[in-house]
Amino acid sequence: MAEENRWKPPGEEEEEEEDEVDEAAYKSARDAVLFVVEVSPSMLTAPPPTDAKKQERDTPTLAALKCAYALMQQRIISNPNDMMGVLLYGTEETKFQEGEEARGGLAHPNCYLLTDLDIPAAGDVKALKDLVEDEEESKKLLVPSTESVSMANVLFCANQIFTTKAPNFTSRRLFIITDNDDPHATDKALKSSAAVRAKDLYDLGVIIELFPISRSDHEFNRSKFYDDIIYNASPTDPEAPAPVSGGVAPSLTSDGISLLASLLSSINSKAVAKRALFSSVPFEIGPGFKISVKGYIIFKRQEPKRSCYVWLEGEKPQIATGVTTQMADDTARTVERVEIKKAYKFGGEQITFTPDEVSGLRHFGDPGIRIIGFKPLSMLPLWANIRPSTFIYPSEDDYVGSTRVFSALQQKLLKDRKVGIAWFVARKNATPVVAAVLPGAEKVDENGAQIIPPGMWLTQLPYADDIRQNPETNLIRAPEGLIDRMRVVVQQLQLPKAIYDPRKYPNPALQWHYRILQAMAMEEDLPEKPEDKTIPKYKQIDKRAGSYVIDWGRELQTEHEEWQKDNEVTTSVPAKRSAPSGKDLIPDRSKKAKTATPDGGPTDAEMKHAYMKQEHKKMTVAQLKAWLQGKNMSAGGKKAELLERVEEFFENK
Amino acid sequence: MADKEATVYIVDMGISMGEKRNARKESDLDWAMTYVWEKITSTVATDRKTAQLGVIGLRTDRTENELDSEDSFQNISVLQEISQLQLPGLKDLRQKVKVNDTADGDAISALVIAIQIITKHCKKLKYKRKIVLVTDGRGSMDADDISQITEKIKSDEIELVVIGVDFDDPDYGFKEEDKDPEKAINEAMLRTLVEDCEGVFGTMQQAIEELGIPRLKTTRPVPSYKGQLTLGDPEQFDSALCIDVERFPRVMVRRPLAASQYVQRSDLSNGHVSTQSSATMMPDADGADAGPTSADGHTLTSVRNARTYQVLDEEAPGGKRDVSRDDLAKGYEYGRTAVHISESDLNVTKLETQPGLEIIGFVPWSTFERYMTMSVSCVVIAQKTNSKAIMALSSLIHALFELESYAVARLVTKADKEPLITLLAPSIEVDYECLLDVQLPYAEDVRSYKFPPLDRVVTVSGKQIREHRNLPSDALSAAMSDYVDRMDLSDLGKDEEGNPAEYMNMTDTYSPVLHRIDQAVRWRAVHPTEPIPPPYEILTRYSNPPEELIARAKKKLEKLIVAADVKKVPPKVRSRKRNRNEIRPLSGLDVGALLLGNKSKKIKISRENPIPEFKQALDSTESEDSVYDAVKQLSTIIETQIKDSFGDIAYGKVVEELGVMRDEMIDLEEPEAYNEFMRSLKGKLLGETLGGDRKDMWYEIRKNKLGLIERKSSDRSHVDEDEAKAFLSSRS
Repeated sequence: MAEENRWKPPGEEEEEEEDEVDEAAYKSARDAVLFVVEVSPSMLTAPPPTDAKKQERDTPTLAALKCAYALMQQRIISNPNDMMGVLLYGTEETKFQEGEEARGGLAHPNCYLLTDLDIPAAGDVKALKDLVEDEEESKKLLVPSTESVSMANVLFCANQIFTTKAPNFTSRRLFIITDNDDPHATDKALKSSAAVRAKDLYDLGVIIELFPISRSDHEFNRSKFYDDIIYNASPTDPEAPAPVSGGVAPSLTSDGISLLASLLSSINSKAVAKRALFSSVPFEIGPGFKISVKGYIIFKRQEPKRSCYVWLEGEKPQIATGVTTQMADDTARTVERVEIKKAYKFGGEQITFTPDEVSGLRHFGDPGIRIIGFKPLSMLPLWANIRPSTFIYPSEDDYVGSTRVFSALQQKLLKDRKVGIAWFVARKNATPVVAAVLPGAEKVDENGAQIIPPGMWLTQLPYADDIRQNPETNLIRAPEGLIDRMRVVVQQLQLPKAIYDPRKYPNPALQWHYRILQAMAMEEDLPEKPEDKTIPKYKQIDKRAGSYVIDWGRELQTEHEEWQKDNEVTTSVPAKRSAPSGKDLIPDRSKKAKTATPDGGPTDAEMKHAYMKQEHKKMTVAQLKAWLQGKNMSAGGKKAELLERVEEFFENK
Repeated sequence: MADKEATVYIVDMGISMGEKRNARKESDLDWAMTYVWEKITSTVATDRKTAQLGVIGLRTDRTENELDSEDSFQNISVLQEISQLQLPGLKDLRQKVKVNDTADGDAISALVIAIQIITKHCKKLKYKRKIVLVTDGRGSMDADDISQITEKIKSDEIELVVIGVDFDDPDYGFKEEDKDPEKAINEAMLRTLVEDCEGVFGTMQQAIEELGIPRLKTTRPVPSYKGQLTLGDPEQFDSALCIDVERFPRVMVRRPLAASQYVQRSDLSNGHVSTQSSATMMPDADGADAGPTSADGHTLTSVRNARTYQVLDEEAPGGKRDVSRDDLAKGYEYGRTAVHISESDLNVTKLETQPGLEIIGFVPWSTFERYMTMSVSCVVIAQKTNSKAIMALSSLIHALFELESYAVARLVTKADKEPLITLLAPSIEVDYECLLDVQLPYAEDVRSYKFPPLDRVVTVSGKQIREHRNLPSDALSAAMSDYVDRMDLSDLGKDEEGNPAEYMNMTDTYSPVLHRIDQAVRWRAVHPTEPIPPPYEILTRYSNPPEELIARAKKKLEKLIVAADVKKVPPKVRSRKRNRNEIRPLSGLDVGALLLGNKSKKIKISRENPIPEFKQALDSTESEDSVYDAVKQLSTIIETQIKDSFGDIAYGKVVEELGVMRDEMIDLEEPEAYNEFMRSLKGKLLGETLGGDRKDMWYEIRKNKLGLIERKSSDRSHVDEDEAKAFLSSRS
């Protein structure tokens, strides 16, 4: 379902219900994925053994089912309202939707509907789990048929599943996993009728994603058959960018990476259906100069679904759905929505406005992103943040040429490390916000697969009203020696590859919540210990930095004693310090500390004075950096380089 | 809690205040009251019992004060004793504030009375005491015992504010020409008084102008975490680092005043309700006497939400039945399976955690992407009274700063709260040091949406192209670069000393909706019948680039527009035919031809595969008759599906089919084909001729906005907006 709306304050849900705006208003913003996995002798042959240890040797079919199993568990967490199903084809056995047998159950011979398309139930997860973990179970079912299967039939079977189970979804996707690139090599009529059935799926709005498996002796060739089946763009979004290939085709050749791992990674990249947060919003780069962009939610805090009420009196537990009726407080009569008036509490009573006035109060212009101007990235402090940024990407829908203009702007901002400042109204009467328009470069992983798409990001900035004052405190600047020792500690403990990679940190609380639920739903034993990758690697920290931390600790002890001596006046009344009345003492002391240790950010006058007397060389690195940053000059490099920049500045004056 | 406040407003209402001066359209009193009402309503809006105020009328016809037996205290009326002012009191006050017929009444005496009622009310208690005098300085004033008054004001720590109508203020730059000599004397005297009391003296024009700058509310910082910042595990290793720290919010969104829901009371006499009902939103025009909002307020009652619970039951009418809340247990959904958890086990799904802020590792600034931040920010400082911790944290802050690094940490604010990953950034200002903290995403929080690159085009064959219509030409890149450089905001503003500074700093921008609603509510409380004034200028100032900048960048923008060559897509071009013919699979195979080859010329739409076949039928024809025929075929299928539907099982399918039919008819410019069917379908649904009660199906049509195609969507439609609306809402 629609995302919870992050751009609006609470209490106005009814006014602005929809969030993921879509062109087709009558569709429900949900996703249905049907796995279609071939069962054939070659798909049931494990890859040849390799030298690599711990190499998993799943048959392609089993690997595909493991992927389906993994995706199913993942989607229960990430897309709890979306549907999934698994269809095998080429099996000896035939099975279709329940109750359909009567109407000619053999309409789709050699198609076995393992999991009907629906929001997965615990039973579905368990059935898949048994199949992939229990060899007996899989041997029983995964028997290839001796007859060859008509692809037209498989596609029509999928068509029927989507039509009956997921009508009206904005996104319906067919994941085909096969190693057979030419199922109807000899039968032209069958090939044509498959193409016709594929067109049906296209007209129905179903997108086919192919996950081809190459064998060591045979490279999968799409052009033989599948290029007649697969269409470039989704019909609901004729302007969608051409599909980005999900890396290399999984192969059975022994190149170290297991089939399962590579299949999992390419399926994972398609796990979530792309949904726009807003479509074709005008992006006004200058007065009268507009292009169109679409917005997407790429970062969003994933939370466990809220608890619900379960009805236990029936045969099996059932979720009770709550229905809210609104009643007048005086007589408890039910009221209709049209009767309800909005009023503001003021001075103990209500102040009312006409509906026109109410919407007028919120109206600050039409939806759009309007650039006010540009600033250097350094003027955007890290704390200026409210919620995850929204990704924007150009769309040619309303303005032809949007993409090239967007690209020119993105590249310029990237190159000069600048940001746009924009006035942003996401929807009609949405709360206007001031946002930074940040350029983002494409990021790819070691295999060349995209992790972060290229585009720009809208980061909502706080208003003056939202910025809190810093809490009062003392300032005691650490002496150079202590900082030096801390610097060594920091240098020992860089994260791998010197980046924070979110993919390495699953949310431990969220995972634990669903692991427990899964175990309970499947009536298994509860797991004992959660896996928590966010816990620091204590041993490593001790090994790498332990001795330096101890050094630092000793220095701190000495320096602190030293400091206490210098600040005897105030520390001579230690009892007062811990007492609440000691508060009055604090500001005094901070002034003292300030004069005792030199300031970090010298003023221009101070710096100029120091420069004239050639005393700027005595300044600390932090002071120099602070001053340079204030001047929007680079504050990187060694002290000598910093000094050079300071000198340059005054020489050029 | 905030301090208790007692403020007394002295408002000059003498005959001279009725004049309209200096080309203003309103009387001096009305003008001055703009200021006073804003101040008073701001206090009322806080809804704080401790924010109290009183109002004294100066130069009133009547005399109502405790010292009224003495001559010097004539023509002064206490209109409002010091108390928390509510809306009814505010309305009473509105009636009392008007221009009087007298010119008598001494402002200095009024001050004495103000001091007296403050003293009486506040006694020796801790209060913020304040007197605001608003006058035109045209009454006579007796300055004899003024030094005593100054003494009293200072000893009682009363803040004195005098705002004068057309008073001279060289700092602000206002001087009244041809000033009345008596007024000049009064002004001078008041100015001396205020200066002696260290109060505020100003001219009304400036005061009113400053009302347009919203006031910021300060919030006392409340720590969101108090504990240790650690590196390593102190329980296992002696080498672990621990610093006592506290974490406070740095950014927290202030929400606009929320509206609550009300409905008309039904226990009032019918006659009363009917006269009010149409006008309740807009108080009566004659409200000035009756206090309309008060009457209005009493006719409303709040709305309560009542929740009932339902489960599926095939035997129950409608497929659902109500269950009692008592029969329900708590649980969670796992997919579509309900997992029941007994009351005692409710915490079983919760991860057990210990509070702490633990550093996981460090990353350089250069590899961190600014768009990864997920939340509002906080500051982390060392425990305030712990000098050793302060020094220790300072060394970390400086080390991070010098190494241009951030720390990545795991934060658990309270026991068993979920762990968060936060980025800790050093912040060093002249007199302040802290770590800034903002949350980072987890693996589950990142969606992998793929988009094509923007700096190159990759073709189907895998070739990379650098020149393409989707890529900027060198001329476009250069024009963009010039334009961006010209539109620089970094030194367009002015700081307090008038030096160039950043334009549109965050501290200059105010939440538009927050202050707009605040303004409107307070305005309406005092002016029930008048339209709401436009928003303060500052709220819209930053919605467009500054004029100066636009002018400066005009040439560059013109160049950019030429180089960009962007064309708006006319709405018509998105027509069906053009797009449909281009649809081919990757191989380019003409499936349409295959279709025609396989089937007879006229496509028969089957119940199993209606949507594709309907589209294909439309593809294969040009004639209007065949379009109508296809619509007819699909219509029949839709009606049968509804008729055969068990409960609402087929409704989703029908909605999809109707949606497709509607869209196609808009594209083919045959709106009547759809509208005709829709009219007949509505009749059948409401006439219960499609298998009984199908109201829910009609509800689906309404909900999904599948009613008649109106002229807005298709030029050839005869249905206007009102008719389409009426069609959907009427029940016949």
